[in-house]
Order: sequence, then C-alpha cells, then structure tokens
Amino acid sequence: MKNILIFILFTSVSLAQSVKPEDILEKVKNNFSRVNDYEVRVNIKVDVNFLKVPETRAKIFYKKPDKIQLKSEGFALLPKEGLDFSPYSFLEGDYTAIFDKENVIGGNPCYLLKIIPLGDKGDLILSTLWIDKNKYVIRKIESTTKSNGTFTIDLKYDNDFKYPLPSSMVFTFNVQKMQMPKEITGDMTDETNEEKDKQNKSRTTTGKVYINYSDYKVNSGLPDSLFTHEKK
Amino acid sequence: MADEKVIEITELTKDFKDVKAVNSLSLNVYRGDVFGFLGPNGAGKSTTIRMMLSLINPNHGEIKIFGKSLKKERTSILKRVGAIVEKPDFYGYLSAYKNLEILGRISGTDVSNRRIMEVLELVGLEKRYGSKVKTFSHGMKQRLGLAQVLLHDPDLIILDEPTTGLDPQGMKEIRELIIHLSRDKKKTLFLSSHILYEVELVANRMTIINKGKAIVEGEVDALLNMNKLKVTFEVNDSEQARQILGGTDYIKDLETVANNIMIFSMSSDKVAGLNKYLIENKIEVSAVIPTRSLEEYFLNITEKAS
Amino acid sequence: MITLIRIELYKIFKKWRTYIGFMVIAVIVPVINFAMLAEGEKSLDFMTRNLQQSFVFVGNLLNGYLISYFILTSLAVHIPFLIALVAGDLLAGEATAGTYRLLITRPVARIKIVTSKFIAGLIYSNLLVLWLAVMSLGIGILIFGVGELIVIKSSGIIIFAKNDIIWRFIFAYGFAGLSMTVVTALAFFFSSLVENAIGPIVSTMAVIIVFLILSALPIDFFRNIEPYLFTTYMSSWRNLFEDPVDYQAFIKAIAVLSLHIIILFTITAWIFKRKDILT
Repeated sequence: MKNILIFILFTSVSLAQSVKPEDILEKVKNNFSRVNDYEVRVNIKVDVNFLKVPETRAKIFYKKPDKIQLKSEGFALLPKEGLDFSPYSFLEGDYTAIFDKENVIGGNPCYLLKIIPLGDKGDLILSTLWIDKNKYVIRKIESTTKSNGTFTIDLKYDNDFKYPLPSSMVFTFNVQKMQMPKEITGDMTDETNEEKDKQNKSRTTTGKVYINYSDYKVNSGLPDSLFTHEKK
Repeated sequence: MADEKVIEITELTKDFKDVKAVNSLSLNVYRGDVFGFLGPNGAGKSTTIRMMLSLINPNHGEIKIFGKSLKKERTSILKRVGAIVEKPDFYGYLSAYKNLEILGRISGTDVSNRRIMEVLELVGLEKRYGSKVKTFSHGMKQRLGLAQVLLHDPDLIILDEPTTGLDPQGMKEIRELIIHLSRDKKKTLFLSSHILYEVELVANRMTIINKGKAIVEGEVDALLNMNKLKVTFEVNDSEQARQILGGTDYIKDLETVANNIMIFSMSSDKVAGLNKYLIENKIEVSAVIPTRSLEEYFLNITEKAS
Repeated sequence: MITLIRIELYKIFKKWRTYIGFMVIAVIVPVINFAMLAEGEKSLDFMTRNLQQSFVFVGNLLNGYLISYFILTSLAVHIPFLIALVAGDLLAGEATAGTYRLLITRPVARIKIVTSKFIAGLIYSNLLVLWLAVMSLGIGILIFGVGELIVIKSSGIIIFAKNDIIWRFIFAYGFAGLSMTVVTALAFFFSSLVENAIGPIVSTMAVIIVFLILSALPIDFFRNIEPYLFTTYMSSWRNLFEDPVDYQAFIKAIAVLSLHIIILFTITAWIFKRKDILT
C-alpha cells in the first residue's frame, strides 16, 4: 500500500523538482538548532468528549537534542506531540520527503511537504507538513498513525519572538476506540450508562487539546539533572 | 378511702388463636389491699397482669387503674405503678446500679445516687451495686426486680410470682417486705401466685382463676373460714369411735370412715372439742389433719391443670 | 426524648458487637492502603494504559482521594452487614434478653421508645460512615497525599481538579449515610417482627444481596423493576463524580431513599405499638 502511495506522489510532483524538500527540512532543522534548551510555561485545555480534564498548568523543559521533561505541581496531561514539538521528533528515522505544492495558511505562505517513513517499524504512516516559506518553522502537521488514527497540529508563533518556538498549539485528533473495561470502573449497576456507551462507540470521537506556551526561557543553560525522570 | 378502687377490671378477655387465655374476667382491688391473684399454671394470671401493664392488648373488656382508663391514660397510670412480670430480666451487660439508673431515667424518676443506693439497701444488694447483672443468681435478680419496683415509690405494686425460685429464707424475706409495704408504707399490692399457702399469709383479699375465668373472689379470711374444714382423724378403732359419737352432734359432721380414718366436715372451732371427746372416751387419736375445702378445691384444679 | 435517645446510645455502645464495625473498618482501610502502596502504581498504569498511548501526563494520581473513592465503591455489601449487626438487635435484642417487659412497662409512650431506638440506630450508622470517611481520607491522604482524582467509567475518563474534590466526598459520604440509614430502617423493621437478632441480620443482608443480583441480571423483566429497588439508588453517590453532576438523578435518589426510610419506620412503629409482648 505504502509503495503505491510513494509511486503516485512521486510521479505527480516530479515536475516541481526545483523545490528540494530535503533542503527545506534542513533549513527547518537548522533554524531550530539555535535552541539549545528552553523552559516554558504551558496552559492546557482538553476538549475531548470521553475525557474530562480540568484546565492545567505545567512547565516543559527541553535540552538539545532529545531531552524533554514535563513538570507540574499538580496533574497535567499533554498529547505526546504537544510535549515534544521539535522538528527532530517529527523527522525521526528514515523517510522520503516529497514536495507537494505551495499553500497559504493563516496568511502565511507555506511549502506543503509529504513525509513517508520508510520501513514498517514506526507508528507513523504518513505526515503532511506545512512549512513557513519565510521563517522556516512548521505551521501545521497532519499525520496518520497505525494505532491512533489521524491527528492535526496547528502551531502559531509570536512574530516578535526570535526563536522558532510556538506560542500556541491546537492538537486535533480522531480516535475511534477508547474502551474502558467495566471491571476497572467497579460499576455494578452501571446500566444507565449503557446508552451513553452505545452512543460513544458508534460515532468517531474527535478531540481537541489547546496548549498555550508562555514565558519562554531559552538557552539559559539547563542542567542535565532536570531530566532524570523517564518520560511516560 | 377504703372503698376507693385502685384496680377495676371488667369483662376482660384475651384470645390467642384457638386459646381463650382470659375469659370475661372481672375483679376489683381496693386501696390498701394486699390482693392475692391465684390460679394454677396456665390459668391466665400472667396474661392478665400483662394486660394490666399494657404489655398485651385485650380483645375485650376494660381495665381501670386509679379510676383512669388504662387505654387512654397509660402513661400517667404507669408513673404510679411498680411491677415485676414473671422472672425479672435486666441488661446483663450493665451493673445493678446502672440498670436502676437507666430504668429510673426512662421513667422520669429521681435517680439520685442516694435514692438508688437506698432501694438497693432495702433489698440487700448494696454491696453488689457495681456488679454486672449477668453475674447475679436468680434470687439476686429477684431482689433487684423488687428494687426496680420500689425505685419511684409507686402507689400500686404488682408482683407476678415474686417468690419463684427462692429458697425458704428468700421467700420469708419477700413476705416480710410485702407486709412492710402494705402495713407501714400503705401501698396497694397485687400478687399473683400458684401457691395458696403463701398468699394466705399476706393477702387480705383474693381471686382464684382457672382457665381464664374467675372462680371465687373475696376476703381471704371469709373465703378460707366460710367453707367448712375437712378434718381427718386417725384413730385406733374407728368403729368404736363411731359408736361413741352416735349420740352427739359430731356424728352429723362425719363424712367418711375407712379403715381407721375418719373424715369430718366441720367448722374449725369444733375440732378441739371433738378431739377432747374422743380422748375422754378412750379412743386413741394419732393424728388430726385439717384441710380447708378451699385448699382442697385449689389443689384439685392445680392437679388437673398440671 | 433526648434522654431516651441517650440511654439507647449508651446501651448500644456498651455492647461489644457495636465495636465490630469500627474495628473492621480500622483494619480494612489500612490494609487496602498498604496494598495500594505495593500494587497501586501497577493498577493505575493498567487503568490508564489507553490514555498513555496518546498522552503524556504527570501528577500524583495515586493519592488519598483515589483510594477513598475505591474504598467507597468496594464496600457496598460489607458496610450494610456491619449496620444490620447492630440495627437488627435494637428491638429483637430486648426480646431475647427479656427486657421488653421492663422497658414497655415504663410510663413512656411506645412510640417514643421505638422512635428513640431508631434514632439511636441511625446515629450509630452515620457514625460508622463518618468513621469510614475519616479513616479512608485520613489514612489515604497521610500515606499518598492529595492530587487530582481520576475516575474511570465506561463512558470515559474524568479527572477532577484538586480543589474540586473534597466537596464531592462530603456529599458522597453524606449520601452514604442516608443509604445506610435505609439499611438501618430495614434491619429495624425485621427486628420488630422477631425475638432473635440473627433473623433480622440475615434477612436484611438477603434482601440487599438479592436486590443487587436482580439489578445486575440482563433480563428485561428485572430491568423494569430495577427503578423500584432501593439498592439501585444506593450507589447514586457516583453521580457526584460526574462532570457535569446529574443533580436531578442525585436528588431523585435522595427522595427515593428518604421515602423508604419513612415507610419502613412507620410500619415498624405501627407494629411495635400494637405488639403483644409475650417474652
């Protein structure tokens, strides 16, 4: 299936050979490499119908190339991609990048690239990236995964901020299966919820997570000791 | 005052499924009476007493105590009544003192330490005031029962078989207490028993019931003396004795002769005279056994019942 | 009346069987907490495994609130038994001991006697629930601290903010007190019919267990009668751990349970008033 996809895309965009996707991606990575570390406050709002979570605050710590830590005084929940939004995480492993077209989103002209991971090991099937032509930051990602369906990430950036770090992210996803085993809930007389249950299972679950990033402290020299805990 | 009715029972009836436990019973108890309520086991005595104390609801009839209807003024009546119904049971896990204190508080009585110890002393339990009642013997529980009866100084005292299970000394103490309460404290007492002799010693009025019905009612003295005595004379030669008595009034009193037993039916004042006459006429009298006809009657129905 | 209630409470707390309930809770709650210390993380991991596929989260989810919630759900049968143990003895115990005769010949209306006994039983039941609350939350928070409460239902996952939890527990335990008062009323009713405390205890538990089983059977007939079984409403405290809270269902449950209490007590009082005391 994947190979057919590659073939179709390859042939359809072979005319646009003047724009090299590898170069674009390289520029994005280089842009991001200016960031050695950062510390940022996050405000997370979850809007998913099977998941009711209060608005939470946390802090994210990042150190190049792959150290990342979520800390909170209380509880905080983030989609995995909301925690680590570095281009490195989206561009892991071997892949084929194909330039599709140019596009405008939110008034920003973008290159539209398709990323197809090679091999069967990863969870990702296909990703579409919208990369800002002028600033070389990722504005939008649309990914399809094996286990978790499709998700979209919309990133906004503060024009005055010199680093390619987003001020907000909207994470949208479609999940069809989210089973809660009854024995966990301990509901012996949970018949009244059966109706709800049926409704939930029949339609696709759409969810959104709104994340605001503020008070960035970039390149302040974060120690490795901050990153001792395993990320979940 | 002597005519004031303390208890007035009219046509009292109680049915339990197929059994008529109490059958149109009527009786009156007057102020100052020590009233004996007699009958064999199962005659309906306890049932009657339970109805008097509102433990059981009668099917028919009326009970008035202190001139008030028990049905309508139960609470105010019971304030002036002290009772033991059958064997006295207490809260075994509590001490004698605590039991009395609780019962007193429920009744709204004075439960001062002084008063509780006073009644305990009256019944001879002052030394065991702190002991749990479950450690008490039957006799001690009976005495504690009396203590609870007397705690609020009632005007009417109802005792259901008060001497059951007591030794002779215990029985004597109870009798003395009853006499003291009646004579010195001017209480009205209602005692039930299946032992005529016991009642006879203390009561001035009584009723005998059998199978739920009243058989006799009246003054004890009158009931016991009114009926003639049956006197059994054991003699050495009953034939000769009969001949000797031939010309006297005593022969009219002779009922039965069998072997050397002669049974006369006579009033008690003639017994000594007959004995003297027989001895003077050379008849040897080895025994003179009086039996009141009432007692015999009572024994008969008691035996039948058991 | 206050005097009578005090006396009844005194009698209740002078019996060793009263303390069984408190001791059981004093043992079970720490045991559950220590089990959670050993296995809690694993259980929580298992519970949240679906969530962990897509999300990253931090926070002290294994906290006193979660454990208290778990304890509240799992003691649906145990606590009623401990209640019936005492409530079933309130009237039948007097018959067994022979003290009915002493009690009912007092110059006090029978209705006052039966009411004071019921109120004393009610106080005991609610004290037991209070003890459960104190032990659950107290020990749970002492060992595991506080945090957000994760509640997993078949309809989804709800995570309650730290400052949005305690009021729910207060009302939940309050509601549990009401539920246990229904059990008290039921045991009390059975107690008025017999002369031995075993009967009421067994009968009460039999009724609760049978009703719970009937409610769980996936047969239409039983589904139809489910709204009329009081056990259906006894777990309505869970409505407080919904977002948003279904206040209508919650209030309906309160009304149904209250009605049960009133009816059961009224019948018991009527029986007691007319009862022939033969013991």
